[in-house]
Amino acid sequence: MSIELKLSRINRVYRPSELVEGNIIVKSASSISHYGIRIAVDGSVNLQVRGGTAGVIETLVGAAKPISILNKIVELRPAGKIASGTTEIPFSMHIRQPREDNLEKFYETFHGGNINIQYLVTVDISRGYLYKSLSTTMEFIVESDKADVIEQPVSPEMVVFYITQDTQRHPLLPQLKSGGFRIIGKMATQCSLSDPVSGELTVEASAVPISSIDIHLLRVESILLGEKIVTEKSVVQTTQIADGDVCHNMTLPIHVILPRLLTCPTVSAGPFSIEFKVVIVITFQSEVAKLHSKSDPTTPRLWLAMETLPLELVRTR
Amino acid sequence: MLSNSMEFRPRNYTAEKQAHALPRSRADGHPLSAPSSPPRHQVEVVDDGDTDYLDPLRRSDNNAAVSIEDLEGIEDSSASGLSSEASIQNPSKEWVSFKRSLMQRFPVSKTVLTSSMSDVIVKGRKTFDKSSTNMHLEELEDPEKFAEEGGKVITGQEYVSRLHELKAEINHTWHADDRVTSLKLSIKVAKLLMDTSILQCYPTLFVLATDIMDMLGDMVWERIKLKAELAEDGTKLCLLPENFMASDICSDAKETCNNWFSKIGAIRELLPRIYLELALLPCWRFLHDRPLDCLQRLVMMTRGLADPLASAYCRLYMAHCFRKLHSHDIGCLLTCVNDFKILLMRVISAKETFHRKLTENKRLLISLMEPTIDYIMKCIFKNVSEVNDVLVELGLGSNQVELRGRFPCASIILHHLVKQLPSQVVSSSAMEIIQLIDSSNDDSYDQCLNYRLLGFRLCERKSEMGTVNAVVDKIIQVITQYEGLDEYLKVVDAYVDIFLQNHMDDHLNSILEGISNRACSQGIAEDELTTLQSILVKLLSYYEDLQDVIAMTPFLKILDLMHGSSQSIVNMQILDMGIRNGYIRDRTTIQFLFEISQALHDDEIFVNVKDDSNQAARLISSFVSLVDYGGELESHLTFLVECRAAFGSIHWLKETLVHSSNCLAIKALKDGSRHISFIKSCIAFSEVTLPSISAQTKQLNLYLETAEVALLGGLVSHSDGLIDSAINSLQISEVMDGSRTPTDADGILSSILKLFSLLVMVPGNPEHGVTFYPKNLVSLVNSQPWMPPRMRVKIFCAVVSLLAALSQRDLPYHADKGKLLGNDILFFGHSLYLSELALMCKFVLQNLVDTIQQEPSKAARGSMALEACNCIASSFIPSQEISSICANLIETGKSCMGTSHPYLLSTIKFTDQLLLPSIAV
Repeated sequence: MSIELKLSRINRVYRPSELVEGNIIVKSASSISHYGIRIAVDGSVNLQVRGGTAGVIETLVGAAKPISILNKIVELRPAGKIASGTTEIPFSMHIRQPREDNLEKFYETFHGGNINIQYLVTVDISRGYLYKSLSTTMEFIVESDKADVIEQPVSPEMVVFYITQDTQRHPLLPQLKSGGFRIIGKMATQCSLSDPVSGELTVEASAVPISSIDIHLLRVESILLGEKIVTEKSVVQTTQIADGDVCHNMTLPIHVILPRLLTCPTVSAGPFSIEFKVVIVITFQSEVAKLHSKSDPTTPRLWLAMETLPLELVRTR
Repeated sequence: MLSNSMEFRPRNYTAEKQAHALPRSRADGHPLSAPSSPPRHQVEVVDDGDTDYLDPLRRSDNNAAVSIEDLEGIEDSSASGLSSEASIQNPSKEWVSFKRSLMQRFPVSKTVLTSSMSDVIVKGRKTFDKSSTNMHLEELEDPEKFAEEGGKVITGQEYVSRLHELKAEINHTWHADDRVTSLKLSIKVAKLLMDTSILQCYPTLFVLATDIMDMLGDMVWERIKLKAELAEDGTKLCLLPENFMASDICSDAKETCNNWFSKIGAIRELLPRIYLELALLPCWRFLHDRPLDCLQRLVMMTRGLADPLASAYCRLYMAHCFRKLHSHDIGCLLTCVNDFKILLMRVISAKETFHRKLTENKRLLISLMEPTIDYIMKCIFKNVSEVNDVLVELGLGSNQVELRGRFPCASIILHHLVKQLPSQVVSSSAMEIIQLIDSSNDDSYDQCLNYRLLGFRLCERKSEMGTVNAVVDKIIQVITQYEGLDEYLKVVDAYVDIFLQNHMDDHLNSILEGISNRACSQGIAEDELTTLQSILVKLLSYYEDLQDVIAMTPFLKILDLMHGSSQSIVNMQILDMGIRNGYIRDRTTIQFLFEISQALHDDEIFVNVKDDSNQAARLISSFVSLVDYGGELESHLTFLVECRAAFGSIHWLKETLVHSSNCLAIKALKDGSRHISFIKSCIAFSEVTLPSISAQTKQLNLYLETAEVALLGGLVSHSDGLIDSAINSLQISEVMDGSRTPTDADGILSSILKLFSLLVMVPGNPEHGVTFYPKNLVSLVNSQPWMPPRMRVKIFCAVVSLLAALSQRDLPYHADKGKLLGNDILFFGHSLYLSELALMCKFVLQNLVDTIQQEPSKAARGSMALEACNCIASSFIPSQEISSICANLIETGKSCMGTSHPYLLSTIKFTDQLLLPSIAV
């Protein structure tokens, strides 16, 4: 006896205005009598503070209450029997009732460190008190409605940045400080989730040879916990754009493909917010660096120069 | 009544000849004469300097002399120029052969990879682990696997086989539907390319790794294509056309394609990310219609690779993947070349402190990078329609059809550019190219090789006179400054054809002078000899007349300075040239060629080659036979004597010598009888030379030839001696070896027959008796068990014919127009003489009949019997004995061949005709 859920789309991506459709597949050697087949769709924001920058009190307070986005249960079949063999029971459910005006609360699916936005579909076949009920759950992914998303940024704004020994707020190796370096570039700070983060970068001068230039994509998750806002930053993806001491005055492209599920449109709701940042890190060749190969790449170090830029992610049509 | 004795049939040879001769009529022209103008005249037309005329054969000859390395290049380029269409059709084949040549050029098998290489595998694993957590790819397969290898020293061979294993594993996991593992392993392979610590191994690593990349790319392409063609339930929806658009692709397939690109996009390291994206480059076509835009971005991304070797090979792979797109837009390749320039400039100017590794291995590094530049340049010029645009893009040209010589360019790039440029551009912009070469003198490529290449390229087609003059002036200016012989020769080698074709005799003399000065002061090294040889051979093949070459003093000086096989090759060329135009009459030429031949003969390598195909020996022989002193016969003989002394080791030269001296004797004979002592010296020379000829048949023939000449000169005792020696040589030769080919036997047979015909003229020696030689020969034949019956029958028939001829009142022919007394004059009518002949004849006839019966083959036996019968019937007056012999022979013929054989019938008819009338009497 087994039960399985199969959604109509292989990638399991649905929009709030759409129907979640699929089949319940029951396989059984003998016929099953039941007290009803129910299907439930459930969406919620789970907030949790663990370790990291959170203080002791926050940890003690523990997880904040989950925010429910949607919770619907529909009885698909009344009590009856399922014949032996393989039975397919089709279902379809609205995620959002038409004309319902709660558009802003349908956040896109997101799997973060402290914040999890998840949509689940659950089927439940209850078989009375004597038998264990048959049930299974599957996640589906919600992306903003095409009709509701904002227009693509008409002229994506490019932020120009300069990275020199003087823009660094952390101590540098003496030879870096004295010899100096100058890296300039530009990057779009608003970016569609379906497009790569794009920009360019040029090493104009550097007294110390460069060992690597990396673009770190950072997510910044903030949770309102009582009176306090707990914020945690973590690296989502690292993309190297220069390996070794690259030629000076040559333009290098910045091209970062955004990972799915790990990114979502920038959200700033009341109890929580999800933001993204880009950190450009220049690693200089140094003997000292070899001793610290395991450290967090975005932590300021003597042999690193960095520049952090905000990145607003949007869903475009 | 038939007489019982044997009597020779009297013959009237003149009447018989007339009766049997065919009617003759006069022909208008000699059938073998040349059609119209004599060849000599044609030669002069060429020489007279029709400047437009380019001998195609000579040109190819020149190319053949070019050192192999350059030849390859030139042929490559011309081949690619010709077959550019074909190669566009089949870039994958070209890539395969390119990879093969790359691995051959930089073999890995000998290199032992130290632990530093395997460290990389471990390191690669670690970084992979770290990034894989970020990438949300599943954990790598067993990390222990690589850790085990970590500490070990592995050989290149092991490394190669490990990569082959990986390829098989990737292929296997893919087909086991574990595509994620496939991709992970591929990424790992791509990461290996990040390590350039062992330079020499990199090309092999590249070839193996890109093989895997290509395989993965193909598999992904096929999978997405299948998705686009199949519906969800597996039924075929459509067949994608070759030139499909992105709009033809269903969203499912696009989704899959997008997933692949996001997975690759998540690779942290730059280099593997570029390689994998390149491998999947064609797949962009499923998503949009401009995949070239992505390539453009990848070109820019490659700039982020600082390691010169890694980035060079990455661009090579890029060029390969570019060709998969079947695009003609070479913009991104041009950007590649421009980035290359910057990279190379950096390598060249690398400072000790920063890039110690670079300077140490700079040479090796650049030689490793060279094939990549070569390939990219080839790709560019394969697809190019506007050469000028390319030049502008590369910063080398302006909008006009000319190159600007202001920008310095890495000379190695310039080299490959010049190599690939269409030849009309090379010739029209020669001066600008020279300026470019002039201004780009760096370590990446030897400047003189660029000058050299330009020279070869210019030779490919005719350039304007003005350009040629300017180029040549500049080149002369450049090479005058070269102090080393090597660079001097390398450049001169490429331009010598231009000098020659444009009759720049002054330049030619000055460069020869230059070569001889440098060679005098420095000597000539081994590889310089090869180049020098190529130059001299070109020079020689240009001139028609040897005199012109001898007139160039520096040439002879240089020749003297040369040594070894190169000198011999040039000498052979000179000799070949000397004998090309027939007889050699000029004394200085003869002397010069004699010295050349001596030098050739003294060359060690030459002496060691003993076989008959030795070209030098053949040339010397030809030279000796072509020497002509005209009326000065004595000098000619002296020359022959000198040759015999000088070229002792050439066996077949002796044949030439004997033959030449015989010719001299004949010449003297024709001149009149006053040279009798000279003729004697000639014969004496031949007599002395003959015994040392080792080839038996040849020796025999030459004995006979000399004997004949002696006879013609009236030197009977000499000819007797020579005939004796000939018979002796036959005897010796039989002793020497038992196994001989039918051709040898036939040769000996015909020589023996020739001897019999000679004996007709030889006056009988009263001391030995007239049948001395025939007797000797018959006993010789009988003592040789190897001679087949067929051969003996022929010889015996010949003896019978000889004896019959000797019995005549008038011999069929005489030596020396009858001045020398023949046997007819000496002995005819002597009964003793006749009976001696008859006695001899009887003995021979018996032998003949017996021998026929020994022949095992029936058919041969029949034919031999008939042959003998014909011979006997025509030699004797019919008699009882003769008739019965003939009848017996015909009977044998009948029994062996059947009664209706045409030979038999004609023989019966012939015999009846000769024998029956007498029977009737």
